[in-house]
Order: sequence, then structure tokens, then C-alpha cells
Amino acid sequence: MQPGRRHLSTLIFITLLMFLLMLSSAAAHAVLLESSPALKAAVPGPDVPIKLRFNVRIDAARSRLTLVGPDGSAQALEISKQTPADILTAQARDLAAGEYRLRWQVLASDGHITRGEIPFSVTRS
Amino acid sequence: MARLLQIFGFLSVLFRGATLTFQSLVVGGVVFLIFVLRRANVEADALKPACLRWIRRAAFALAAMQIAYVMANSLILMQSAGISLAEVSGASFVLAGELGILSAFTILALAGPRHSNGYADLLLPAAAIIASSVITSHAMARLEYRLPLVAFTALHQGATAAWLGGLPYLLIAIRRASSSDFARQLSARFSQLALLSVAVLASAGLALSFAYVGSFQALYGTSYGAMVATKALLFGLLLLLGALNFQLVRRGPASAILASLKRFGEAEIGIGVTVILTAASLTSLPPAVDLARDRVSGTEIFARMAPRPPRFASPAMQELPEDIYAAQKKAFESGSLSTESYVPGQAGTRPNTPAEKAWSEYNHHWAGIIVLAIGLLALVAQATNLSWARNWPLIFLGLSVFLFLRSDPEVWPLGPNGFWVTLADPEVLLHRFFVLLVIVLAVFEWRVQRGHVAPGSARLIFPVLVAVSGALLLTHSHSLGNIKEEVLAELSHIPLAILAVTAGWSRWLELRLPGENQMRNVAARLWPLCFTLIGVLLLNYREM
Repeated sequence: MQPGRRHLSTLIFITLLMFLLMLSSAAAHAVLLESSPALKAAVPGPDVPIKLRFNVRIDAARSRLTLVGPDGSAQALEISKQTPADILTAQARDLAAGEYRLRWQVLASDGHITRGEIPFSVTRS
Repeated sequence: MARLLQIFGFLSVLFRGATLTFQSLVVGGVVFLIFVLRRANVEADALKPACLRWIRRAAFALAAMQIAYVMANSLILMQSAGISLAEVSGASFVLAGELGILSAFTILALAGPRHSNGYADLLLPAAAIIASSVITSHAMARLEYRLPLVAFTALHQGATAAWLGGLPYLLIAIRRASSSDFARQLSARFSQLALLSVAVLASAGLALSFAYVGSFQALYGTSYGAMVATKALLFGLLLLLGALNFQLVRRGPASAILASLKRFGEAEIGIGVTVILTAASLTSLPPAVDLARDRVSGTEIFARMAPRPPRFASPAMQELPEDIYAAQKKAFESGSLSTESYVPGQAGTRPNTPAEKAWSEYNHHWAGIIVLAIGLLALVAQATNLSWARNWPLIFLGLSVFLFLRSDPEVWPLGPNGFWVTLADPEVLLHRFFVLLVIVLAVFEWRVQRGHVAPGSARLIFPVLVAVSGALLLTHSHSLGNIKEEVLAELSHIPLAILAVTAGWSRWLELRLPGENQMRNVAARLWPLCFTLIGVLLLNYREM
């Protein structure tokens, strides 16, 4: 191999090695700025309106909201279509009193996927 | 399922970094071909086939990375949200990926050997490649000032590609140029292009920083701000190398300067790739301006970083969680795991116990002593003729033993888990691999220092790995679950990373610059100094 080619190969080697070593990087992107119910809040039941506001535009059609009940059962919530670009809304109905977890997963308009969980409790109205 | 998501999560970041780098190489190549090799003469024509060959290679790699990225991200979305392939196909990242892939294949088809001298038709697919990247940038998801932010991002990425992506083509052209004068002519022309690109990328970068960081407090108080500041610092380092190149082109006989020019260019490419990878990790962090809460204050940074005596007493093994996975599960069940926001594949963050933090500090402080010893001895070896000082790489063997014993206390030889667990846990396996790597480095660099290795690329492995470890430190994981701790950890790692990148590339320049270049002596003194400073910083590393 010519010396010049060898050096170029070294540069390619650097680039490839850097990619391999980047494996430890993974990060969330969309930030939940505000939620209703708020984190660890107690809200009156049985119907609970849900609203999540993010820092970026959200692809609502490819985002998911799931409610986990006191018995651990999961229920997918239907996301409303008519909302501003940074907001997801849904309606949870007929909830019994107890501890719930709202699991959210959003696809931001720039292609990043983020998920999170909001624990809250429902009280008797 | 969780493991699958984790793997795809890691892979998608990997592909994103690779996409940005190959994108710069394709666009930079096209710009170089059209604006630097623009004159149709025999000398320029002779260089075109080599440039076109590298443009095609980069375009092929870009298409492959884009396909891999779209597939990995689509699989994550389908698996984690139960979305069908048909639904995923309309997502913006898929459409952007398709545009990028199509453009890369168009360039692959158009960049073949041809008799006509014009290559202007490559500009449109090159612009489409930048557009596909901008569609998956922060700008597209912003709620306010979307259009100007999109324009600034396009300018920033385009100018970066023209400058850093064009550099490898300059090196190829210089190496193959028919005469020294022609090589110098090309360098001068590229310098003009680089100056313009630097002006555009710096202006656009400044505008984007105002929009995404917003305040001085966010610059040091958030991960995003700290990474932007790091990018600016590395950019400064690149400008310094660029200025040295510029000076070289302007003075001296052509034959004498070309060797130095190529060496500075190599270091510029290496640091440039680090900057691009830093930018790739920035795209997956939320902009600082959106994190109004949980910013780290100057007082908190001072409290963490203020000099304190090193910790030379380790907590006992019994104080550490016996099984970190069981501890994670327990934290999840008790609700102490932070799950407010994370990416698919992560399981939330368990805060480290005080004993774990003390264990880590002890490790860092002893590593600091070892690295400090390496730096000081290398300085002595540089400044004097003391033969024994050239044995400094053997100190790395001490570091490898220390890492082997302390990096995974839960497994053999210190922990209750047997040796074979090593092979079952990827993290432990990776640590063991690093131990092996340090041993190889120690032996190899020792042979170089003792003069047992002939001049050639093999001697460059040490500087390359030092520079790569610096880049690795800049792209380590972040979590929104524990924002303040993450920022403080980031602020501890950034100076180490910058010093490692500087050390790696200055050692590279020491080995590669011709003897008559005075900068070679500066580089020779610089890298041991960087090692010494890394040692000092490690001695004051804190996690609490």
C-alpha cells in the first residue's frame, strides 16, 4: 500500500471507530412542559380530561397515550385530533377512585421518540 | 422487548452521527469539485476522477446509513407504540430519509466519469441532502420562528459540509497534484471557500445559539448549553489550525509548505469529525431554552467543582448494592425511579447510592494519579534525554489492572458473580475490552517510545485512540430523569474530553509534521501537558 493511501485508511479508521464508540449516547428530546393531571396530583373522577403540552410540535397521529389502572390493567386513550401542534388531549372516562399512571409516547416532528409516565390519583367526586 | 428497543435506540443514534458525517463528505466533495477544481485545464481534470470516486463512496455510505437509520427508528416506533408499517411510512423522519436516500443515489449515478467538464447538476441533489437533514433537525419541530430557524440550520449545515467535508478532497488533490505550484493554487482557492464557509457557519451558529440557548445562564446550566459551548471551543481549535494553514499558503516556497499543510489538514478533519459528532448528540438533546426548571446555578457548579482533597479511602464492597439489576427493580417498585421522561429502551434512572458515588470518586482519583504520572513523565522525556523516562507508557499497565479490579465490583474477581457473567453482560464485556485495549496501547506506545516501531501509520494508533476517547466522552448518555446531576456530570467530563482531543491531535501533529516546522515542537510539549491537566482534573472529580 502506498504511504498516502495508508494515511487515508487511518483517517477512515478514525471515523469508523468514533461511530462504534458513540454507542453509549441516547437521549430524550421532547420535553413535557405541563400536564393535566399534574405529576402526583389528586383529581376528581369519574371522568378525567387529559392534556399534555410539549416544547415541540408533536405528530399526534403517531403518538400514544395509555392509562394504567390501580389493578395494573392498561387502556389505550383516543387522542383528539383538533388540538394545537404542541398539545395532546384525550378523555379518560368512568375511572374508579385509586392510583393511576398515564403513560405517554410522542413522536416529535423532527423524528425523535420520547416517552414518560405521570402518576396521579383519582378521588371520588 | 426492552433489550431490542435499547439496541435499536443505540443504533439510531449511531446511524444519525454517521449520516451527518457522510452528508458532509458528499456535499463537501460536490462543492470542492465545482468551486475549487472549477477551471477546465489538464491539471484539474487529472484530479477529478479521484474526487468523483470518493464522492460516490461517500454517497453510497450515506444512502446505507440513511436506510439503516430509517429502519431502526421505524422499528422502534412500531414496537414501542404498536403502529403499523403503513402508518409509520407517513412520518416526517421517513419522508426526510427517503429524500436523503434518493438524493444520495442520484449523486451516485451522476458522479460517474464523464467527458463534459460541468458538474453543476450535482448541486441540486446535494442541496436536497441538506434539506433532508434539516427536516429532522430541531428547527422543524419549533413552535416559533420556524422558517428563519430552518434557513439558519440549512446555512449552518451547508457551510460545515463545504468546509470540513471539503478538506479530505483538498488532501487528496494536494497528494495527487502534478506540481507543487498547482497544489498551492488549489489550497489558496480552498482557503477562500473555507473563509466564506466559516463566516456563514459562525453567523448561522450564533443565531441558532441565541434561539436554542437563550441566555448565558443556560449556556453553563444545561447539557445543551454546555455542548454548544464545547462545540464553539472545538470550532476555535479548528480556526487556529485553519489560520496556520492560511499562513502557510501565503508564505514560503510551495514545495516546503505542502507537507505541513497536509498534516494540519488531517488534524482539522479529525477535530472536524468530533465537532460533527458533538452536533449529532446535540440534535438529540432538548434545547436549553425549553428547560426553564432544573438548571444548574453557578453556586451549585462551584460547590461541586471546588478543590477538595482526593478520596483515597474506598467504601467497602458490602456497602454497594449486591446486584445492580435487583436494585433497579426495587427502585422501580418503590417509585423512586425517575420515569417522567426518557427514550424507548431506557428503563428510567435509579439514583446512585452515596457508597456507589464514593466508589466512583475513589476510582477517578486513583486514575488521576496514574494519568498525572504519565503526563509528568512524558514531559520529562520530552524535555530531557533521560532514557528511563521514555518508559512512561508502561504506567498504563497499572491503569489496566486498576480498571480490571474496580470497574465492575459486582463481578469476578472482587464480586460474588463469577467470571462467566463477564461474557453475558455487554457492559461488563465492554469494560473488559477497554482493559485489554489499554494493555495493547501501553505495550505498543512503549515500543514506539523505545524506537522499536518503524515510522508509519502504526505509530498513529495511540494518538487516534486518545482523540477517539475524547470524542466518546462528549457523546456519553444523558437522561432527563435526573437533569441537574446529568449537567454536573457533563460539566466534569467536557474539559477532560477537550483535553483528550487536543492531546490526541497534538501527538498526531508531532509525529506527522516535518522536522523543520516549528509547530512540531509546540505540539510535542502540548500533549504531555494535556495529560498532566487531565490527571489534575481527575483528582478533583466529584459525584456529590
